[in-house]
Amino acid sequence: MASDESLPTLKILMIGPSGAGKSALLIRYCDDQFDSESSTATIGVDFKMKKLSVHGKAYRLNLLDTAGQERFRTLSNSYYRGAHGVILVYDISNRESFQAMERWFEEAESNAMPGAKMYLVGSKLDKTNHRTVQYEEGQRLAELHGCGFCEVSSKTRENVRKPFVEIVDSIVRDPKLLSAGSRRSGTVNVGAGGGEGWGTGCAC
Amino acid sequence: MESLSDTKWDVLISGTGLQNSLLALALSRSGKKILHVDENVYYGGAEAAFSLQEVDEWLEKIQGDISSKPFRNASLWKAEASDGTAGLSFSRAYTLTLSPQIIYSRSKLLSNLVSSKVYRQLEFQAVGNWWIYDGETEASLRRLPNGREDISQDKSIDNRAKRSLMKFLKFVVNYENLTETWEPHADSGLAGFLSRKFQLSPSLQSVISALTLSFEPSDQIPVKWALPRIARHLTSIGVFGPGFGAVVPKWGGAAEISQVACRAGAVGGGVYVLGTGIKTSETVTEDGEQLSKVELSNGENVKTRRIVGKNTGHDLANLKSVSKIIAVVSSPLTSLFQSSIEGSPLAAVSVLVFPSKSLPEGTAQPNPVYIMVHSSETGECPSNQCVLYATTLKSDNSKAVLEAALSALLKSTEDDEGKLLYSLYYEQEQQASYASLDLAFNDEILQAVEDQWKTIMADDNGTLEGSFMQFEDREGMNNDDDDGDEGF
Repeated sequence: MASDESLPTLKILMIGPSGAGKSALLIRYCDDQFDSESSTATIGVDFKMKKLSVHGKAYRLNLLDTAGQERFRTLSNSYYRGAHGVILVYDISNRESFQAMERWFEEAESNAMPGAKMYLVGSKLDKTNHRTVQYEEGQRLAELHGCGFCEVSSKTRENVRKPFVEIVDSIVRDPKLLSAGSRRSGTVNVGAGGGEGWGTGCAC
Repeated sequence: MESLSDTKWDVLISGTGLQNSLLALALSRSGKKILHVDENVYYGGAEAAFSLQEVDEWLEKIQGDISSKPFRNASLWKAEASDGTAGLSFSRAYTLTLSPQIIYSRSKLLSNLVSSKVYRQLEFQAVGNWWIYDGETEASLRRLPNGREDISQDKSIDNRAKRSLMKFLKFVVNYENLTETWEPHADSGLAGFLSRKFQLSPSLQSVISALTLSFEPSDQIPVKWALPRIARHLTSIGVFGPGFGAVVPKWGGAAEISQVACRAGAVGGGVYVLGTGIKTSETVTEDGEQLSKVELSNGENVKTRRIVGKNTGHDLANLKSVSKIIAVVSSPLTSLFQSSIEGSPLAAVSVLVFPSKSLPEGTAQPNPVYIMVHSSETGECPSNQCVLYATTLKSDNSKAVLEAALSALLKSTEDDEGKLLYSLYYEQEQQASYASLDLAFNDEILQAVEDQWKTIMADDNGTLEGSFMQFEDREGMNNDDDDGDEGF
């Protein structure tokens, strides 16, 4: 997979209230796994990588989960740094989680870099019997913020690829955004040290 | 979801400053259940970074609390936005840091950030040029040599002085093996030692002293303290590339490291609550085990095996304090960042040193002043501006000294004169040790974290398992999603 290092990398974040199904969506999309028993906050990974091609061009996605820091709203500014896209997730069977979205949009818009793409996701589409948020409400909120929207079920796999494919598509259509996230030439790679200090060599 | 009180925590950590954040990371990744709280609503404690609005809130808190620690006597000045020149930008265009420390290439902090994989969430930038101010010469800012060739090409040093300087440099990078040269003078002042043993001129004494980042004047810096710091400076150059020996993480230095460490701690299962401190704690016995029952300021009661508090400091008689100014300037001061070394990365930070008594007459300047100049590449200000972080030892007139140094700097650069747009003055008292004030990250802090980690890890079973800050990858590489073109 080392060759993937050269692919353009997109950083995409998942945010939203606890229990909205962010990790479930991420794990279903990346690993095609679903654990209906897992209701507690997942002990996460730093980020997940996935290769995705749109319009015949491959991209490397770095997908970041909140690692439980959404619970007390203690996500740090650094979480948002350099993110090209933010996927906001609520639970269609939990009205409160939908009502919290306005504050999550606010947080994302003030912390992410200018022009970063947002995407709204209503999760747990398999729970239509317990639906308390209508499709149209989600759609309206997304329109208000000028972003994409869909409903998904991580349990049945319905639409799980859609948010990722669509947000990546909207990111790559914006070359300015694409280049804004890349590291500048001044970045020092501290993982590749081993050079000699100038004082340690021969003194001639 | 479990409530905080349902869990028996291994360690409750209060305060998200750099030291505690690194400890939380180390412990949570070593399998301990960590509850990490901070009475502030922001991460970073004494190493936090702020937008302009957050500075205002911080200022209000400090001004409203005369016993506030470690910061006090804070005041803010802003230029009137009038005369047509571009003024301050919006609040979030700035990330002003309380900890503009540089990190030397050979600091253990970097190797620990690498071994714990945390470095990938950080972006490091080079600390390029070092400048020394000399009020007596016409070109009042002189760039310090950044390598051996630099010295041999420097026309401002005559050949005899060059030989003396080279002799000293050869000695200092090997000082540990040359004890007979310096041990008899271990407690003497550096300036005298350089003069007597190496015949260095006062001007070269200032140059060498500048590399120590000492708050004391050069005749008062103990030789035994100075030599390792000078050696560190010299042997760090070139480790990560030509022409620089230190780095600073983008977006506010240590502030960014503590945030990233806290996220990595959360990935390891740590739970984070801000705006919440420890109110009271008492010892209780449960199932034959001694626990602390803690009431948090948010009203929750939690049980924990251990508490790690803030570094309240020992009862040191003479705590050092420094005076600081964070200033925003309406010029990128480009000339300060230009490199003379081929192949070196674009530097984002320059260091300016004003040796004691170097400022123009009229300003009594007992101690050196250091100004870290951060370009907009650091993400701390908009382009076409830069942020100046000035520090000197606190004295009767230290605020005036800092202001004089800032104005001398703006007059001395080759750039169009920048105007001061914003100036935040404050004083900072040292916390547990001098290391908390050090202008370069002090590895003592990391040593303290490792000691705390060892104590806690050895707690239950007496033997230490795992190694400090060595973690497996916690990232998943997944199957390709190559059929993504459908629908387009």
